[in-house]
Amino acid sequence: MLDLVLFLPLIGFLLALLVPAEKAKYFALIFSLVLFVISLGLIGPVLANPGEYSFVTDTPWISTPNIRYHIGLDGLSLWLVILTTFLTPLAILISWNYIGHRMKEYYAFLILLEFGVIGVFVSLDLFLYYVFWEVGLVPMYFLIGIWGHDRRIYAAVKFFLYTMVGSVLMLVAIIYLYLKSGTFDYTVILQQMASGQLKLTPEEALPLFLAFFVAFAIKVPLFPLHTWLPDAHVEAPTAGSVMLASVMLKMGTYGLVRYCLPLFPNAARECAPWIVGLAIIGIVYGALVALVQPNMKKLVAYSSVSHLGFVVLGVFSFNQLALDGAVYQMLNHGVSTGALFMLVGMMYERRHSLEIKDYGGVATQVPHLATVFLITTLASVGLPLLNNFVGELLVLQGAAMVNISWAVFAAIGVILSACYMLWLYQRVFLGRTSHDTAHHFEGQDLKTREWVAILPLLALMVWMGVAPMGFLTPISVADNKTLQQSKLNVELKVTAPAPPALPVSAGTTVQVAQTAAGVNNAR
Amino acid sequence: MPANLWPSSTDLLRFGPEILLTLVGTLMMVLEPLLDNKRVFRTLSLVTLLGAIGVTMAAHGVPGLSYANMIIVDGFATFFRLLVLGVAILTVLLSGDYLEKEGHETGEFYALLLFSVVGQGIMACANELIMVFVGIEISSIASYILTGYLRDDKRNNEAAMKYFLLGSFATAFLLYGVAWIYGLTGSTNLNDIRTVLSSPNFTNSASLVGMSAALMFVGFAFKVSAAPFQSWAPDVYQGAPSPVSAFMSAGPKAAAFAVFIRVFLTAYGPISDTWVPLVAIAALATMTIGNFAALRQTNVKRLLAYSSIAHAGYVLVAIAAHSTVGTQAVMFYLASYVFMNVGAFAVVTFFARKGEQYVNIDDLSGLAVRQPAMAAMLTIFMLSLIGVPLTAGFFGKFYIFKAALDSNLVWLTILGLLNSAVAAYYYLRILVVMYMREPGVATNNMDEAPFALRLTVWASALATLVLGVMPGLLLDVAGRWVLALGR
Amino acid sequence: MPNSYSETYFPVLLQMVLATAVGFALVALGVILGYRVKNKVKDSPYECGVQPVGSAKERFSVKFYLVAMLFILFDIEAIFLYPWAVVYRDLNHGANRMFGFVEMLIFVVLVLAGFFYIWKKGVLNWQADPGPASVPPAKAPAAYSLSEK
Repeated sequence: MLDLVLFLPLIGFLLALLVPAEKAKYFALIFSLVLFVISLGLIGPVLANPGEYSFVTDTPWISTPNIRYHIGLDGLSLWLVILTTFLTPLAILISWNYIGHRMKEYYAFLILLEFGVIGVFVSLDLFLYYVFWEVGLVPMYFLIGIWGHDRRIYAAVKFFLYTMVGSVLMLVAIIYLYLKSGTFDYTVILQQMASGQLKLTPEEALPLFLAFFVAFAIKVPLFPLHTWLPDAHVEAPTAGSVMLASVMLKMGTYGLVRYCLPLFPNAARECAPWIVGLAIIGIVYGALVALVQPNMKKLVAYSSVSHLGFVVLGVFSFNQLALDGAVYQMLNHGVSTGALFMLVGMMYERRHSLEIKDYGGVATQVPHLATVFLITTLASVGLPLLNNFVGELLVLQGAAMVNISWAVFAAIGVILSACYMLWLYQRVFLGRTSHDTAHHFEGQDLKTREWVAILPLLALMVWMGVAPMGFLTPISVADNKTLQQSKLNVELKVTAPAPPALPVSAGTTVQVAQTAAGVNNAR
Repeated sequence: MPANLWPSSTDLLRFGPEILLTLVGTLMMVLEPLLDNKRVFRTLSLVTLLGAIGVTMAAHGVPGLSYANMIIVDGFATFFRLLVLGVAILTVLLSGDYLEKEGHETGEFYALLLFSVVGQGIMACANELIMVFVGIEISSIASYILTGYLRDDKRNNEAAMKYFLLGSFATAFLLYGVAWIYGLTGSTNLNDIRTVLSSPNFTNSASLVGMSAALMFVGFAFKVSAAPFQSWAPDVYQGAPSPVSAFMSAGPKAAAFAVFIRVFLTAYGPISDTWVPLVAIAALATMTIGNFAALRQTNVKRLLAYSSIAHAGYVLVAIAAHSTVGTQAVMFYLASYVFMNVGAFAVVTFFARKGEQYVNIDDLSGLAVRQPAMAAMLTIFMLSLIGVPLTAGFFGKFYIFKAALDSNLVWLTILGLLNSAVAAYYYLRILVVMYMREPGVATNNMDEAPFALRLTVWASALATLVLGVMPGLLLDVAGRWVLALGR
Repeated sequence: MPNSYSETYFPVLLQMVLATAVGFALVALGVILGYRVKNKVKDSPYECGVQPVGSAKERFSVKFYLVAMLFILFDIEAIFLYPWAVVYRDLNHGANRMFGFVEMLIFVVLVLAGFFYIWKKGVLNWQADPGPASVPPAKAPAAYSLSEK
């Protein structure tokens, strides 16, 4: 079943190249919807046992060296795969009229991108993982480079080279691990580490950890390696930005959780203060830069840097709450930032400008669009009952348990996010409507197709904000396992303080913590 | 005088591919003035090369030494014989239409190609330094002429002259190295030299032996275009007819690597401590020079030349590993390199058109719109040269750097892989102009590619992808046929 | 038998001395015994029938070089016959009977193939025959002809 979900996009890519150009978008939409429906079937079995891998396929791929086709799905990767299959049809819908030339290749590359991204999330063999990591790079390169805006070529090449430099370092580390352990199989390597069969000296573990970490940090992107992101986002076509922000950045954070923590627990803990420092700088810096952006897309891009800083902060706080929050925040960011990019894209299609100064008072012309944008904005700034709130709160709480000052600095980012997002909203939708702007927006409110594209995301923002437990439970279980693995052979220098009394307002959080504790006891 | 000098039938079979190619090559020279229809030679050379593949496989059935231990037929030799024959087949497919277009299709071209392959075949199976030299010379002299084949073309002439002068100079170094080692050990047979060098009674100074190795390294480094002897390659590849550039960047290079490995691993194996650092540094220099020089090129052929220098650097990394897995990696790498590089040159041949007027990167603008299939194929080759997964080039690099790490060459691995990230930039430039620029003048009025050229391109692309998904097909063969020497 | 290393070179020395002596002797005998007639033609320098005085920058037909090159090529190939001839007697024993002959036959056939090739290609044609159609007409200036001077 998982094999099907993984390889259907590859088949879809080849088929998309065969259908006539004018039919390509219909084919791509139907195909990706079918894939989404199929992928929903993955949820049930994984929820039944989120701590272990479901749908495991493990067959040899290449005999020498022993590379296996080993894939599986657990609570950590489940939602990311679903998010990918969920967003692809929406990304296709949003490109419907926007993409005017070379449509066949465009939709084919979108589907190929899906193949690479899903592959990254389900691989359990380090080599296979690396292969998919690189495969995802190529279609995105073309999406930005062919269908992007004016400086698209610069952005595309920069995107490719940044990721490539990071990933070759990771490849060195992967090969080194193979030479030490004799296998690329991630689960086997972990078993060897648990049983003490594979021991990495601190001198080995630190460079290896850094090699993995830099590759992921570029992808996340973590300050100061983030400079490719604003360029790529601004120049990419709408769907490209959506897929880039929503799922491709998650390849980095997912890698941190899945690989960096369990494989190199000691080194990760050693570096954690530095990394958290960078993450906090990223949160505040991203927010401050977003505040002064004159370009909407760039603003959203920098907000991504800020939001993903939270994820990294959560991951390197090494406790259940923060890690749950970080993983949940990955999904939230995918949903809300994806929606923001879509909305910005819709604005661009009407006004043909991304400059904030070209807008103003648009709300009177397109009230529906304004409302949808407002909801998304509020979700993005972390209003309670909407999705981001849950994730940010968990991360802040978890970080505070380790070091209260981390939470304090990170909280500044939350405040700033409200500033830049609401200010953006004010400048774009409120105020006086200039004649020119009104002309572009008159009678141009959301069309049916756009409603269809954006409504599922709105629904999800509310759902994930009001009833997070359905999503969080499998995440907690999987995270708990990751945390256990990341404690292997670790001498804990500082014992985490007992959790402080939980704030009453965060009812959902209490439940999460209790669930997590329950899981802990059960083990 | 030995009792019986007559070669046995086994001897003839072991040397069969070269005998066959020589005879047919000579026959072609005789037929050339007699036949007006020059297309016959295409067919004849294709049939002969296919026949030579058959003979090579038959010879592989009776492995062993022949002709007073001068040649050896083992898996390693067979592998490289097949490789150079494959390159020659692709070149013939590529050349026919090119030569016809340039109004210069003659039997000599094909005969020279066959002679060059004879030389490379000898290099692949030489077990003796004189044979090494003879093979290199046969291969080189034919290549010199092929380089200057369009004799009315100034670029061809210049390239041929440079190649000839520098090439002769380099082989002189090689010969000097042969003389040194003969003086020191009293033999030119690789196995005998190995025996002498590893014997405890050998008292000659290590630096003298090292000197002979260094001199021979100069000769080989020139042939594989390794730094600091790489400077001829860009001029020659740029000036030579495109199919010939394709041929030279694959066939003679692969054969030179084969003989390089055989000589250094067999004869100089006992003193590996002295040459391994040399090769490692040359590898780093070659990669770096090739990649950084390629960044600034505007001519596609010149860019591919620098890229081929860089790739020679990657191969040297595996040789520096001095291990069986390293040699295996070289074999895999060179085979996959043949497909992606010949494929890329094939697209360039198609694109350049008569007189090679369009060879600048900018001329490729919008190729993806006008010729989507060709652009897609060139994309596959470029991605493979970058080393993106699911292409042959990725596994080639992977095996090489795995071998290097295995031999604790951590610094070389990291610098090498960073180099390949630099390389991505210039390969991407080609993709950029093809896909992201509006079609220019150069892509107007392009004819459909001739069948043989399309066959070459599609076959190369298919091989690149198949090896990228199932590298085991080739790697297992390389593993069985590897020269099991070194660590 | 020579006793030391330098003694082995004694015959060489002797030959050098003799050769020098003979050379000098012949010239000297000519001067002493020769009968001389002096006139303008006899005193002019002789160079294969070509006018010896004139511009040094004259162009010669490429055919001169072609012929010279072919001469050297076939000359060198013919030299291979010499070592073969030296060992031929030893090569023609027992099981090796005819071996040397067959080897040289193969060699000669290959050389003849080359000869056939240049012949049919028209390289040996001195007159301006363009040769087979596949050879494009030479762009070089017309051949330098002796009769013009």
